[in-house]
Amino acid sequence: MADATGTAFLETLVGFGRALRAAGLPVGTGDVQTYCAAMEPLDPTDLLDLYWAGRTTLVGRREHLPVYHRVFREWFLGVPGEPDEARPFNRPDAPEAWADLQLPEPERSGEEREQQEAPMGLVGSDVATLRAKSFADCTPDELAALRRIMRTVRLTPPRRRSRRTAPAVDGRRPDLRRTVREALRTHGDPATLRWRERRVRPRRLVLVLDVSGSMADYSRALLQFAHVTSRAARRVEVFCFGTRLTRITRELEHRRPDDALARAADAVVDWEGGTRIGASLDAFVREWGRRGIGRGGIVVICSDGLDRGDPALLESAMRRLARRCHRVVWLSPHAGSGGPPSLGMTVATPYVDRLLPARDLDDLERFARTLAVLG
Amino acid sequence: MTRPASVAALTETLCAGGYLADRGLSTAAYVALTLDRPLLLEGEVGVGKTEIAKTLATVLGRRLIRLQCYEGIDTNQALYEWDYARQLLQIRALSEAALADEGAVDALFGPKFLLERPLLDAVRTGDGAVLLVDEVDRADDEFEAFLLELLSEFQITIPEIGTIRAERPPLVVLTSNRTRELHDALKRRCLYHWVDYPDFDREVEIVLVREPGVSETLARRVVAAVTRLRELDLAKAPGVAETIDWVRTLGAVGAADLDPQTVEDTIGAVVKDRDDLDVVRAHVHELSRG
Repeated sequence: MADATGTAFLETLVGFGRALRAAGLPVGTGDVQTYCAAMEPLDPTDLLDLYWAGRTTLVGRREHLPVYHRVFREWFLGVPGEPDEARPFNRPDAPEAWADLQLPEPERSGEEREQQEAPMGLVGSDVATLRAKSFADCTPDELAALRRIMRTVRLTPPRRRSRRTAPAVDGRRPDLRRTVREALRTHGDPATLRWRERRVRPRRLVLVLDVSGSMADYSRALLQFAHVTSRAARRVEVFCFGTRLTRITRELEHRRPDDALARAADAVVDWEGGTRIGASLDAFVREWGRRGIGRGGIVVICSDGLDRGDPALLESAMRRLARRCHRVVWLSPHAGSGGPPSLGMTVATPYVDRLLPARDLDDLERFARTLAVLG
Repeated sequence: MTRPASVAALTETLCAGGYLADRGLSTAAYVALTLDRPLLLEGEVGVGKTEIAKTLATVLGRRLIRLQCYEGIDTNQALYEWDYARQLLQIRALSEAALADEGAVDALFGPKFLLERPLLDAVRTGDGAVLLVDEVDRADDEFEAFLLELLSEFQITIPEIGTIRAERPPLVVLTSNRTRELHDALKRRCLYHWVDYPDFDREVEIVLVREPGVSETLARRVVAAVTRLRELDLAKAPGVAETIDWVRTLGAVGAADLDPQTVEDTIGAVVKDRDDLDVVRAHVHELSRG
């Protein structure tokens, strides 16, 4: 390769990397270097080589493949890609089926908050009433206040014994390494046996939140709760569904609650659309459950059970789900309210280990306490 | 054996070894070999992620070193372990005076008493090895951290001995079924390839290469049936491995054709979920029509 063309070629590759970055892929300088190095022994005039070498060096996630494909076509073939084609999951089926999520007011800075709270006396209601106030009746300001209280909720998923061991005073497995080390002192007499014991670790927690129309008044609060939860405990996965399932674990990882909630809201397209609980749980079991995301974990479904889909589908999804995780907890805003259970609830209940109310903050705190002792 | 000269050459070599790789997988493997980078393969169960590592080892004339990951796997099982029994014997054999000598104690934690586990074995073998770190997603996230040094530097640090480095790095292949997201730090050190189901004709070819005894007609019918199974709404769609298993099973029972009764009798080779079996039983006639 001549020097001049070589430089031009490298610039093309670097530009491609930049275009990918502009399209939202996390492509680092090191990745582009690897790409250039990978092309060295390959044929720069061969589009297939360009495509596959780039794909293996610049993309690290299956979800990014469609974007890569589109940018590649644009960059090397000059074919304008359709943005929709590249992001099939973000295309709403029917525009009227979803509306923007109204997020709680952004957190105010400390000083601002004081100014606001002084005249309003913590948004006009004291903490005790707020705790027992149904999420459905809360104003955005009250929800923001609730969020601050939620942060104090301690969530400790039940624990299970791990296969990993740690040194222990007493145990079942001898710790040969420590024993031998100490035997040096006694000239090879293993005078005291040291032990190891299996460690315990918290079970994984999977939250599956219903954000459909009938749950609209609760979903904001539940999402806040999910964010607090994912910050409070390790190994938490969060999913949302209305008509379809979306994983929002990564979106919620953001430290600032407002950013995290906004990102999650962007990721979920069917806020307040219809409900297809059966289909969504079925998708969860197929997509994630089968790969073991719930294995040994606690799956928490937050929904009112108002399903517009086929009850048989919900039944089979729940049956599979119950077999693939340790415990199923169902939080419903209407549980324990005395009303007749919805059809969805009736179908799902046999497979649920605990059915708990989730109408207000007191309920969520009760759930947090129950969770810790859920064997 | 030397490295293949081009992607096409590698594809051919793999084919001769009984593995039909598509262009993407060949390129990924070729780049991994030329740049000495680990290759992370993700894909559905049974699409041949593990198999490619085995075949690469065979056709490149390298030794396959396999580390099957599981929860709780730690350095003692993956990297190295001290031979405690021999250490104890050695201490007892030494006199008190000898024990006072620093060198004697150092020797206790020297190479002589070190038991190799797969990762250390691979680093020592260097480019004579293909290291397969299988189902890395099954290990817990703590274990990923152990792998980082190995994957970026092809070296292992043992506190008592020092750093052991591969002079010429082994080919490292990691596979994951995506039961959980791998850490970005791990992914950054690897090339990435998503292994898809092969298309119809390729899958027929794969069956014929793996089971040369089978007739092409039967192979085509089985692949057609499996393709149909993947379209059915099954909890666990059959992979290529299942296709081959099914053909093998048909061979074992001496079936020359895929009639409804044979499907009924042998479906256990392909579908291994009770709920799925119910779905499949309703479609037996479609499957046997081919």
